[in-house]
Amino acid sequence: MKIEVLFPEVCNLFGDLANIRYLKKCLPDLEVIETGLKSRPVFLDEPVELVYMGSTTERGLGLVIDALRPVRDDLIARIDAGQLILVTGNTLDVLGKTIRSDWGLDLEGLGLFDAHAEYKMLKRHNSMFLGAFGDMEIVGFKSLFGLTTVGEDANALFTTVRGFGRGGAVGEVKEEGFHRGGLMATYLIGPILPMNPPFTKYLLRRMGADDTLAFEDVAMEAYRRRVAEFHSLAFDPVYR
Amino acid sequence: MSKLRFLLALWMAKLSIPALKITRHQGTDFPGQLALKICPDLLKYMGRPETVIAVTGTNGKTTVSNIITDILEASGRKVMGNRAGANILSGISTAFIRACDLFGRIKGYDVAILEVDERSSPRVYPYITPDYVVITNLFQDSIMRNAHPGYIAELITRSLPAGAKMILNADEMISGGVSPENPRVYFGIGPMDSDVTECINLLNDMRICPKCAGKLRYEYLRYHHVGKAVCCDCGFSSPESDYLAQHVDFAGKTMEVREGGRVYPYPLITDNVFNVYNMIAAIALLRQLGMTHKELAEYMGKTTILASRHSQEKVGQVNLIRQMSKENNSMAGSRALDYVTGRPGRKELIFMMNSLSDTGAWSENTAWIFDTDFEFLNKDDVAKVICTGPRFMDYRLRLLMAGIPEDRIVCIEDENDAPDYLTYAPGDDIYLLYGTDSLEQAQKVYEKIKRLALAHDTGKEARV
Repeated sequence: MKIEVLFPEVCNLFGDLANIRYLKKCLPDLEVIETGLKSRPVFLDEPVELVYMGSTTERGLGLVIDALRPVRDDLIARIDAGQLILVTGNTLDVLGKTIRSDWGLDLEGLGLFDAHAEYKMLKRHNSMFLGAFGDMEIVGFKSLFGLTTVGEDANALFTTVRGFGRGGAVGEVKEEGFHRGGLMATYLIGPILPMNPPFTKYLLRRMGADDTLAFEDVAMEAYRRRVAEFHSLAFDPVYR
Repeated sequence: MSKLRFLLALWMAKLSIPALKITRHQGTDFPGQLALKICPDLLKYMGRPETVIAVTGTNGKTTVSNIITDILEASGRKVMGNRAGANILSGISTAFIRACDLFGRIKGYDVAILEVDERSSPRVYPYITPDYVVITNLFQDSIMRNAHPGYIAELITRSLPAGAKMILNADEMISGGVSPENPRVYFGIGPMDSDVTECINLLNDMRICPKCAGKLRYEYLRYHHVGKAVCCDCGFSSPESDYLAQHVDFAGKTMEVREGGRVYPYPLITDNVFNVYNMIAAIALLRQLGMTHKELAEYMGKTTILASRHSQEKVGQVNLIRQMSKENNSMAGSRALDYVTGRPGRKELIFMMNSLSDTGAWSENTAWIFDTDFEFLNKDDVAKVICTGPRFMDYRLRLLMAGIPEDRIVCIEDENDAPDYLTYAPGDDIYLLYGTDSLEQAQKVYEKIKRLALAHDTGKEARV
C-alpha cells in the first residue's frame, strides 16, 4: 500500500505532515513516496492508495501551480476516475481559478473549481471549526490570509456547524472545502487525521486498509473532549 | 493640532506613571496604551537618542537585547529601552514616554535598545527608524499570528526603511534575506563537532533555494534549517560571516570570534548553541558601535542569561531545573527538548507549555505540538514525562506517536498535581518546562516540587 506526498519541500507547514506520520503509525507497512516539485507525480502513472498535499507558503502556491500545470489534464482525469487525494490548508487554492493578495500575489490556479481566493496579508483569519462529514463530526482549525469566493457548482467536503465555511461570515456559508471525484480538499490545517479518528477510519477504509487506528483509545478520547469543547457555547469560533 | 494631541497624550501618560507606581504596576505598558488611544501616531512626534537599535526575530531577541543593554550600561552608556515592558507598540511607546521630557524630547540617553515583536514591524518602524536592526533568526512561531517565517521576512522587509544597517544570521537563510537592499553584516558559528548534514528535526523551513527553488544541500546543519546551505541547481549559498564564533568549547567555557582574518578570545556564558548565536549577534552589533573585542570579552564575562528562562538549583538530593519553552512555538519547544535530553543523567520532566491565555475563550490550536520534536524524549534516561493542562490527551497521543513508552507518560489536567507524580530519586534531574503564559503558575508548581523534594530528603511529609 502506497501514499504519495506531493511537494513536501514546500507543502509542510502547520503540522500538516503529522497526518502522514499518523497514517504510517496506523499502517506500519505503508510505503510513503515523497515527490518533489521537479518530478512527475507517481500516482499519474501507477496505483497509489492516497495522495496528500499540505499547507504551504504564498511562494509555495506558485511553485505548486507551476509543478502541476503541465500535468493538469492527467490530474483531472485521475481525480474524476476516483483517485483518492487529500489536500489541506491554503494549498487547495491552487485548485481554484485565481489567487490574489494585497501584497501583489497574482496567480492563475489550475481551475478545478470555480473559486477565487483573496488574501489580506495584514489580516490573518483564525477560527476553530466544527463540522459534519456524513454522520461524523469534524473538528479542526483554520489559519488563513483570506477566504474564498466560490461558484455555486463547487461541491463541499464538510458542512459547517460552528465556525467559518469556505467564504463569508460565521454562520452564513455552510459549505467547507471542496469535493470532486476522489479529491477531498479542506481549508482546515494541521494534524486533522490524529484529531479526527472517525474520519481517519473512513479514509483507511477508502484506501482499502484495515481501519484500526494507532493509539485508537487515546485518539478517540482526545477527539471526544475536543468535540464537546467545540460544542460549548462558551467558545467564540473566531480567534481575537 | 496633531502636535497638541501628541502633547496631551504624553502628559496624560506621564501622569499615569506615578499612579502605577503607587499601585505597584510599574512594569505594565499602560502609559503607552493610554497615549496611543489619544494619539495613535505618538512615536512620530517623539524625540530619539542618537542611536536606535532594534532587536527582533523569532527566538532570542530578549536575550540579545539584554546582553547588549548590560554591556552598554557597563561601559558607561546611558541606555533606554523596553526591557521592563512589552515588545509591541504599546511597550515601546511606554519606554519612550518614560524616557522623554514633557515635550517629548529624549535627553540624557545615548542609545535606545528596542526589542521589537516581528509582527509589530509595520506599526513601529515607520515612526522610529532604527540605525541598526539585529534579526536573531526567523522560524515558525505562532501559526495564528505569524503564519510562517517567509511571511515575517516579507513583513519586516516591507516595514524597514532603507538605510537601517542589518545585523543578520548567516546560518539562517530566511532572516538572512530580509531587506536585501539595506547595508548588512552577518554573524554565525563555524563548524561544530555536533553538526550533521541531513535535518533530523520535523521542522525544516528552508528546503529549497530562495532564488531558483532547487534543492538545498547543507554543508553543515546545526538544527532545523540553521547551517550552511548551497543550492544544488544554481549554486546560491549562505553568506559568509563577518563575525564568526569558532572553537566553541562548552567544557572549557571559551570560544573565539573571527573578524577580518583575526581571532579574539571570549568567555562562554552559556552551555547551549542557541545562546552562542545570541552572544555572537550581540558582539556583531556592539562592534558596529565601536567597542573593541577586548572590551566586549571583558564585559561578556560579567553578563548572565536572564534567570527566568533557565535556572537550576539542588534541593535535597535532586537537581531542579527550570527551562522556558514558549508555547505555540514548535522550534522553541524542539530546542528546549534537544537541550534537556542532551544533558546526562536520569531525568523526569513536567510540561507546562499550556497556552493558558487561550483557556476559557478559545481552544488551543495544537498543530505546533505535532511539529515539535518530542521524539528527542525517546531515550532511556528520560524516566518520566508528565504532561499537564487542558490539552493533556493531545500530549499523550503526540508522545505515543513519538514512540515514548506508555509507562513513562503521565498526563493530568491540573498542573498543580504534577509534582505528586515525580519520583524524587536521589541524583535525579527534574525539569520544569513552562511557557510564557505559565510564569506565575510555574512558580507555584516549582515551589511545590521544592517542598516535596525536601520532604523526600528528610523523610518527612511535606506540608502541601
